[in-house]
Amino acid sequence: MEIIIEEISRGHKLIGRHKFLKESVAVGRGYQNDIIVSDPHVCSDHLNIEFNGEYWTVSDADTINGSFIEDSKELLNEHRIQSGDIITLGKSQIRIVFPNHPVEDSVTFSPFENLIDIARNPFTIICSILLFSIATGYLFYLNNPKDVTFTQLFVPSMRMTLIFALWPAGIALVSLLTKHDTRILSQLGICFVFFNLMWLNDILERFVQFNVSSHWPFMWLLAVIPIALSFCMFWFNCIIGFHTTKQRRIAICIGLTVLLFGGSALIKVSKKPDFTPFPRYNATLMTPDFHVTSSSSVDEFIEDSAKLFEKVSKKAKED
Amino acid sequence: MKGIIALLILATSIVAQATEQAEEIFKQLAPSLYQIRLIDKTSGEKSSIGSGFQITSDGLIATNYHVISGYARHPSKYRMEYLDNRGNKGQLELESVEVVNDLALVKRETAQPMPFFAISESVPIKGEELFSLGNPHDLGMIVVPGTYNGLKKESFNDRIHFTGSVNSGMSGGPVVNKKTEVVGINVATSGNQIGFLVPHDKLVALFNAYKVKPPESIEQQMLEQLVDNQEKLISTILNSEWQLKQLGQALIPTVAVPYIRCWGDSNADKEDALILAAVANCTLEEDTFLSSNFFTGVLEMEYRYMQGKDLSDTRFYTLYEKHVKRAGPANKATKDDVTEFQCQHDIVMPSHQGIKNKAVFCTRAYKDFSGLFDVLYIAGSIDKNDRALMSHFTIAGVTQESATAFTKKFMESVTWK
Repeated sequence: MEIIIEEISRGHKLIGRHKFLKESVAVGRGYQNDIIVSDPHVCSDHLNIEFNGEYWTVSDADTINGSFIEDSKELLNEHRIQSGDIITLGKSQIRIVFPNHPVEDSVTFSPFENLIDIARNPFTIICSILLFSIATGYLFYLNNPKDVTFTQLFVPSMRMTLIFALWPAGIALVSLLTKHDTRILSQLGICFVFFNLMWLNDILERFVQFNVSSHWPFMWLLAVIPIALSFCMFWFNCIIGFHTTKQRRIAICIGLTVLLFGGSALIKVSKKPDFTPFPRYNATLMTPDFHVTSSSSVDEFIEDSAKLFEKVSKKAKED
Repeated sequence: MKGIIALLILATSIVAQATEQAEEIFKQLAPSLYQIRLIDKTSGEKSSIGSGFQITSDGLIATNYHVISGYARHPSKYRMEYLDNRGNKGQLELESVEVVNDLALVKRETAQPMPFFAISESVPIKGEELFSLGNPHDLGMIVVPGTYNGLKKESFNDRIHFTGSVNSGMSGGPVVNKKTEVVGINVATSGNQIGFLVPHDKLVALFNAYKVKPPESIEQQMLEQLVDNQEKLISTILNSEWQLKQLGQALIPTVAVPYIRCWGDSNADKEDALILAAVANCTLEEDTFLSSNFFTGVLEMEYRYMQGKDLSDTRFYTLYEKHVKRAGPANKATKDDVTEFQCQHDIVMPSHQGIKNKAVFCTRAYKDFSGLFDVLYIAGSIDKNDRALMSHFTIAGVTQESATAFTKKFMESVTWK
C-alpha cells in the first residue's frame, strides 16, 4: 500500500515529503529508520506505522516523550490513521496522507503577472531606479539656494535611492524566511514603479493646490491618491512574495496602509502643539505656465473671507 | 579769566537752584505719591510694581494701565495695594482704564480729605523744565529733572518726548512743571535720557468721563476703546495718500503718514547669490499693551522683490515659494487671548490687471474682545517667469469691516511697474 509522510514545521510548513510502497514505516532518530528525525526529543525508535490489511495504524514505541495526534494528550497505540492526521513526536510533527487525499484547486495566474513580468525586466528596473534617483537629485537641486556640483547631488540622491530600496529588499527577506520564493527583482521593479508614481502624484498634487482656491470642495481627493497608491503597492508586494488567500492579502494590505498613514497621522497629532500663534496655509507656487484656471477678483476674494471671520468668531465664543 | 569764573559761579548756582527746586517740589508732593503694587494672591508676594499719584481729595489715583494690567485681565489672581511715603499700605479698587493711552484710575479709602496733584490746564513750551516723579526699580521715590521736547511726531496716539531718564517702576508716576501741575504721566523709555509721557489731556479726558459715569465693566470699556482706536487709525490710513514706490520692477504702496516708517535692505552686495532680493518693511511704530503676552494695535507691511540671476524658472519659483510660506503675526498673543488662525488662498487679479497673485488671507478672533480680529495677508506674484514680488501685511485688533477695507485697498495697490 502507498502512504505519503510529510515532515512539517510547527507552523505546518512543509519540510520534506516521502512516499512509501511498503506495509510498515519506522520513524525515529536512529539511522535504521525509514524517516530519520534529527529532533533530540525524539527516541531512536519512536513510531511504527503499519498496514494491517485493511487500514493503517500508528503506535508509539514506549518512548520517553511519547507520540500524540497533534495536540491531544492521548498516547498513540494501534491508532487508526485518517488521511491528513498530524502526529507530534518530540518537538517535531509529521503529517500522514493517503494517495487519494484531496488537493486544493489549482491557482490561476494572477492577471497582473504580466505587469509584474514587465516590471521585473532588468531594463525596466534600471530605468525606474534611474528615474527615481534623477527625480530625487533634481529635487535636492531645486531646493538648494546655492550653486551645487554633481557630486553634491549624487550622494544624497544615491542615499535616498538605497533607503527606498530597503523596502522591497525587506519584503524579499521575509518571503525567504517564510519559505516562499524570494523574487527580489520583481519586488524591486514593482516598488520603484510605485515610488515613481508617487513622485508623479506629488507633481499632480502641487499642480492642483496651485490652481484651485482653498474653497475647492474636492481637496480631500488629493489625500486619497497616495493612500490608494500605497495600498496597491502593498498588494503587489503580497502577490509577488506570498501565497495567501485573497481575504488575507487584502487584510494584510489594509493593515500596512493603516500602519503607514495612521502611524504618520498619529505622530503628527502627538507633535501638534496645543496652540500655535502661526497661521497654517497653503502657498504652493509654480511657474506661470502651470496656471490654467481663471483668477478671482479682489472683491470675490474678500467676500470669501467673510466665512473665515464667521468661523473664528464662533470658535472664540466656544472657548 | 574773570568772565570764566563768573560763568562757573553762575552755572553752579543754576545747578544748586535746580536741585533746591526739585527738593522743594518733592517735599510738597510726596504725600500724594504712591507706589502701586500688584500682589499675587497665592504666593502673597508682589508680582509687579509701578507709581501712581492722587488726583482728587477723596482718594482717586492715576497710574498706567500696564502697571495694573494683571489685575484688569485676571482680577481673581491678584489684588492691588498702595504704599505711601510713610510706609502705609492699603487696598486699591480699579475704577476706570484707558488702554490705548495706557492710563488707569484706581481708588483708595480715605478718612479725611487729602492733598492731591493739580492737573495743568496748558501745554508746556518746548524746552521747559519738567520734573518726573516715581519709584524706579523699587529703590524709593525720586525726582528726575528733564526737558519738554514736544510731541513725538512718529506716534499715532500723542506721546510727549521728555529728555530725562524714565526707568521701569516709574511708570504711572506724574511729571510736573515748576508750578507742580501735572503735565504728563511716565509711560515708556527708549534708552538713555529719552523718555515718553502720556500728555495730561488724556488723563483729563479719562477723569471727566469717569466723573460723568464710571464704567460698568472694565472689559467692555476696553473693547470700546480698542474698537474706537482701530476705527480712527484705519480710517486715517485709508484716507491718507498711498504713495507708490518702486521696488525692483514692482510698485509698492506706502502710506504717507509720519507714524508709519519704512526700512529697506537688499543682497545687492552678494555676488554669488542666485537671486537678487530687495526688501522694504513699513511698520506702525507703536502698539497697545493689553497684558505682558498680549499686544494689539500693530500694523506691518512688508514687500520682497526677487529676481533670478542665472537659474531656471522652476528653481527660481521653488526658492521663492519658501519666502511666501513663512509668514507670521507681528503681535504677541496666547491661547487665552486669541483663536488659532484660519486661512484661505486663491489666485487673484486686481481690477487694474497689472499683476496676478497667489493670495493668502488669515484671521484669528479675540476671545475677550468680541468683534476684534488679527488679520494676516501674504501674496506672491505668479505672472513673471524670472522675477516675483511678495507683498504682505498684518494688522492686529481690527474689526472685520476695517480689515476688509484695508485688504481691498492694499490688494488693489500692489502692481508691476
